[in-house]
Amino acid sequence: MARVITVALVDDDRMLTDGMRAWLGGVPGLRLVATATTPAELLRPPDQELPYAAPDVVLLDLRLGDGSDPVDNIRLLLSSGSRVLVISTVPDRARIIESVRAGADGYLTKDNDLPTLVAAIEDVAAGRGAHSPELAFACAHDDSPARPRLSPRERQILLDYASGMTLKSAARRAGITVHTAKDYLDRVKAKYRQAGRQAYTKIDLARLVREDSLDGQ
Amino acid sequence: MALSAVPLWLRRPGLPREQTAAGSGLQRARSFMVLATLLYRVSHLAVGLVAVLQHQRDEPVPYALLALALGLSALVHGTALRRGWFERRHIWADVLVNGVALPLTLYAWGGAEDSAALGWAMLLGGSACATAALVLDRLQVVGVVVLLAATHLLGYRLVDASTAVVLGHTNSLLSSAAMAWVFWWYLRRQGRLLDDANARTLAAEATRARYVERLEHHRLLHDTVLATLTTLAAGGVDANTPQVQERCAREAAYLRRLIEQTADEVHHRGIGEALEDVVGAAESLRLRVTVRYHALPEVPPEVSVALADAVREALNNVRRHAGTDHAYLTATADPGRPGAVVVTVVDRGCGFDPERCEPGLGLRLSVCKRMTAVGGRAELDTEPGEGVRVELRWPG
Repeated sequence: MARVITVALVDDDRMLTDGMRAWLGGVPGLRLVATATTPAELLRPPDQELPYAAPDVVLLDLRLGDGSDPVDNIRLLLSSGSRVLVISTVPDRARIIESVRAGADGYLTKDNDLPTLVAAIEDVAAGRGAHSPELAFACAHDDSPARPRLSPRERQILLDYASGMTLKSAARRAGITVHTAKDYLDRVKAKYRQAGRQAYTKIDLARLVREDSLDGQ
Repeated sequence: MALSAVPLWLRRPGLPREQTAAGSGLQRARSFMVLATLLYRVSHLAVGLVAVLQHQRDEPVPYALLALALGLSALVHGTALRRGWFERRHIWADVLVNGVALPLTLYAWGGAEDSAALGWAMLLGGSACATAALVLDRLQVVGVVVLLAATHLLGYRLVDASTAVVLGHTNSLLSSAAMAWVFWWYLRRQGRLLDDANARTLAAEATRARYVERLEHHRLLHDTVLATLTTLAAGGVDANTPQVQERCAREAAYLRRLIEQTADEVHHRGIGEALEDVVGAAESLRLRVTVRYHALPEVPPEVSVALADAVREALNNVRRHAGTDHAYLTATADPGRPGAVVVTVVDRGCGFDPERCEPGLGLRLSVCKRMTAVGGRAELDTEPGEGVRVELRWPG
């Protein structure tokens, strides 16, 4: 891996920003290129005239101090060309699900260790999508009516991975290869994103119709 | 953490008043009225026996009718004693047979030709309409009273009873119904008031228990998070030492669970509390435990204890043999089976060969024994290099 992965951090906790800078500073192959307290600030740095170069991966805090909707934040960052790895202090399961539906590439709690975080960033940067037990737990125990249908196999892998097993152990238990197990997890995430996309399109359509009719008057 | 032990029955609001049965005020009022009407009827049957012996000693029909009255009374009041309240159709049968048909039959075929011989059968109408006043709807009660009064008037006219007897007995009939109804109304009202007062006491008790629980949380926060933060803020210690970092991580994990739990508070009492104790103990022995709960059902206390013991055993095993300082604990409802629970303890450590290794043996014995004792089951899954997964299910 010759190319350096560029990373940005959107978090309104200054201490955490400093800590992350120190943390990632020592990791070869990663470079923290920007920090901001909101996605808007990241996309339009106030003191720079340079054209914005989207970082490969944006680490986005799930709940920002300005009370902005995580879904909007994720869509904004995705539209700028970055991939998004959501992080949060407490696993707020409903919002984790919303994030995945909105297209986030992964989710981690902030108490994970550095190797886990780095591995997740690398996975997201490579377009593989990052998996974590906390995300799997949120999906496995999603009671909302909008949840996608999962096959029994997908469910089993999801539950085992959510219980803390490594993907390798979960695969062995199910009698399949790690590769297939990862496929199952990818499929679950894809189903959520697909469902999210459809819902979003509907909302968008409704909004467009409303705006059109307002314009027409 | 070990929080106030709120008994299960305190946590179940909104049971319909009638279902709380046994000791409720309403049920007590019912028991009393069942007993009172039973005694009333017994007194009438006793009068009947004396009257038959005095006036119709040699006739068979009055004995048969007395036996019929006795049998029907036994059915009406026996059922009420057993089930706690009267059956509507029994009441109708009592009114129509004992109150109406019986005196007329006694006159027609029993040879009762004066008011002294007929009177005992008329009395049964009085106790019948007292019971009817408790059970039937208001309009039906009026109908029953009119019907029985008509029977009185007709019966006594047939035997040419004196006006004083007719008036006296009819008056007794009406007042039986009226008094039974008034007593019942009063007792029922007192019973409701008592039930409401009890419900308020229980609610107050539950609030107090929650308050105690919150205080307990605050005390724990004070001893842990607040103490650590205050020390760090004072600047006397180096925050970068492993000890301080470890302590911070442990306390952060506690706060994290606390926040997750309060979001879903109601479900996690019982199992959640028992597991929290175990996790706290494991953390103080320097094991990092990632805990996740979801929609835990209420289970009998001994099941919570068994689950907690089994989890303690599994976490001990991680600490001693897994070669890792991190374990995962999940406790959730079993989606396929209402009321069932699944708990897993997982590590990503060295694992072992389940066929040969002695940690496996000890783990399996101690964990399985605890679960099977309460009707649950435990399952072990491991391979060398692949960590250990212990799954506990209840019911098994």
